[in-house]
Amino acid sequence: MSALSRREMLQASAATMAAAALPASVTLASAPSQDNITLRLQADPRDYQEVIDAYAGVAPNVSVEPVSVTGIDHAEVATKILASLAAGTPVDIGFAATEATQLYAGEGLAMGMKDRLLDQADDLMEYFSDVSPVLVETDFYEGDLYQLPRDFNAANMWLNTKLLGEAGLELPGEDWTKDDFNEYARALTGLGPEGDSFGFAWNNGLWGGWLPWIFVNGSNLLSEERVGGGEWLWDTFYADDPNAEGRGGGFRWPEPQANNAANVEALEHVVALTRDGHAPSVERGFAENLSGFFAADKIGMYPGGGFFTGFLQDAGMEPGTYDAQFWPRWQSQRHQLGVGALWILIGGSEDAAWDFVKWHTGRDVMEMIGFFRVTRTTPARRSMCTAERFPNVSNWNIFYDTVDARPDTGPIPAPVFSIELTNIFTRYTEVAVSLEQSPQDTLDAMQRELEDLYARNA
Amino acid sequence: MASEATLGSGRRNWLPAWLAGDTVQGIRRQRMVLGVLFLLPTLIGLILFVLGPIVVAVAMGFMKWNVFRPPEFVALKNFARLFRHDLVGNSFGNTFVMMAMTVGMLEVFAIALALSVHRFARSRLAYFFRTVWFLPVLLSGVSVAVTLSYMFHTDFGVVNYYLGVLGIDKVPWLVSSDVVRFSVSLATVWRNLGFTFIIYLGGVSALPQEILEAATVDGARGLKRLWLITLPLLSPTILFATVIDVIRLLQFFDEPYVMTRGGPGDSSRTAVMMVYDTAFANLEFGYASSISVVLFLIILAVTGFQFLLSKRWVFYQ
Repeated sequence: MSALSRREMLQASAATMAAAALPASVTLASAPSQDNITLRLQADPRDYQEVIDAYAGVAPNVSVEPVSVTGIDHAEVATKILASLAAGTPVDIGFAATEATQLYAGEGLAMGMKDRLLDQADDLMEYFSDVSPVLVETDFYEGDLYQLPRDFNAANMWLNTKLLGEAGLELPGEDWTKDDFNEYARALTGLGPEGDSFGFAWNNGLWGGWLPWIFVNGSNLLSEERVGGGEWLWDTFYADDPNAEGRGGGFRWPEPQANNAANVEALEHVVALTRDGHAPSVERGFAENLSGFFAADKIGMYPGGGFFTGFLQDAGMEPGTYDAQFWPRWQSQRHQLGVGALWILIGGSEDAAWDFVKWHTGRDVMEMIGFFRVTRTTPARRSMCTAERFPNVSNWNIFYDTVDARPDTGPIPAPVFSIELTNIFTRYTEVAVSLEQSPQDTLDAMQRELEDLYARNA
Repeated sequence: MASEATLGSGRRNWLPAWLAGDTVQGIRRQRMVLGVLFLLPTLIGLILFVLGPIVVAVAMGFMKWNVFRPPEFVALKNFARLFRHDLVGNSFGNTFVMMAMTVGMLEVFAIALALSVHRFARSRLAYFFRTVWFLPVLLSGVSVAVTLSYMFHTDFGVVNYYLGVLGIDKVPWLVSSDVVRFSVSLATVWRNLGFTFIIYLGGVSALPQEILEAATVDGARGLKRLWLITLPLLSPTILFATVIDVIRLLQFFDEPYVMTRGGPGDSSRTAVMMVYDTAFANLEFGYASSISVVLFLIILAVTGFQFLLSKRWVFYQ
């Protein structure tokens, strides 16, 4: 027997310890193979190294290679994944936010999970009992499930409580309205150490841009309908969950309706905020920096989900100077959300990839993921959404309540051609918020381009 | 010599007869083969990495391909579509406007700088200025664009902050369609000035001193000497620098993509951004190829036009 080097000994010990820490219920579906398999996993190694090391103890013949893909938004990440596919270097297990879920599924890249889920239902019962059906429904496409939710973010409202105090305001209640919001935006403008704060700021994107205002104004950018099917999942995993009633096999957005009256009204609302000086100019290259200005007491309110907790901690914001609330009510209080999850490439090592993805749903595995340690996104598992995970946020419970207590929360509209849709949406939004064109004219032009987009993809 | 020839002949026994002889023709053939062998790595590289992609891009221009399904031949449909597509025309228009602004600023500033720094040619200050002005070229275009987009932000940017101190109203650098192309050009000039400056510094250093001194003796000074003597002497360098800069800037991408994503609306969208979005966002690789082929032909035509015009204004000694 050859002597083990110190490095090999340490690696073996780490793998053994990690394997020992795994939940006993996790079993691999495919028979252990003697062949060595390499799985290319779309993940940042800084977040996933511990998971990958642990999996080496579970499946020693499977080597997981992280492939880091970054982008300014999820549409750009999806663009890069497609570029890697075109270049012949695809990932076996990809990550998709809602922006790309239907893109991968609809283009026949992602593997439908129905048969495997039904075959191994017992192994996954605990997982689904811990995940809101709102999140699961978002990952459906035409009756099949393509992803198992890992994390999500709904657009809630973050408030700088230091500025609230300076303005003599309390944190708003959960049933606050759009008019209350306008009062807050006015009151929070012109405060802070240099008297130059803005009441509200937002990024130009499909998620968290001005789309939440469209949602609460009782509308959507595209017409929305539920697809039939999906009973196989709801009956198997959510038979006793009232929140699962009436759910189907995913969402469809059959036609654009950008310029309907409610959408024009929503855009007029955000344009007025900029025009009246209550919101700063909306600039694409600057998006990531707004969180820093929130932390520097230059922004009073900012759209964000649970992920913002980590950003504010990193920015050094003091405890007790920030908090979150539901999005204000207008015609409704329907929130928008995006769900993140792993998907499996068809034609790759599907069995091995499925084993990994299924194992990855275990709570102990999810706890190893770096971005759940310092909360940079909201865990899809209810049991992981605790006060400790959202330190210094007294309203931390609203993040999961947005899907548990408000079952009308729905996905951002993201059909198969969502990348192009996002580009059109953000381009025209820029024109309106730079005050160069009226909201009505802007949305009429957006509608024409969306109609062309639908025609091309018919 | 005879013994060398004998030795050489002995070593070349394995060569085919037409190559092995020690005749004049044989030696010429050997040199030719040796030359081809030396060229081969470069030729293979050119074919694989330059000519190959060009041929594929041209061929793809006649196809419809979205990565997921096999390419489908569509003849000239992509080309017909791009001439009807307003956004393509707008992108090419933006590219030309920004290229003209940027090249104009680059050449004027670089010549001025080169002439100024040349005055210190014999002092250590020359090293300092050359290094300082060239430093931005070494920076990543994306990093520069990100930093400048922060600086140019209407409400939070440092540029407007200092303008405010001077009592000047906020300028919407990146959110006004009237201003954005200038802002992006300015950012590009800042990063690329060092490269053009070094070209001109080389040109200025090589100017014949005797002609310049004779002009001075004859009374040519200041702007007159610059316009009538220095610039004509520098004209071959100006041609070289403008050709290089025009080719580079017709492929404008980094700065507008990072700073504005082509916005507001499509005010700063360039032709290469159009190619990128069409291919990777819209998944229309065939159509994107047809746009890139047209861009390639335009660059070729503009460069040819520059050389044609140069016969009228470039002065070779």
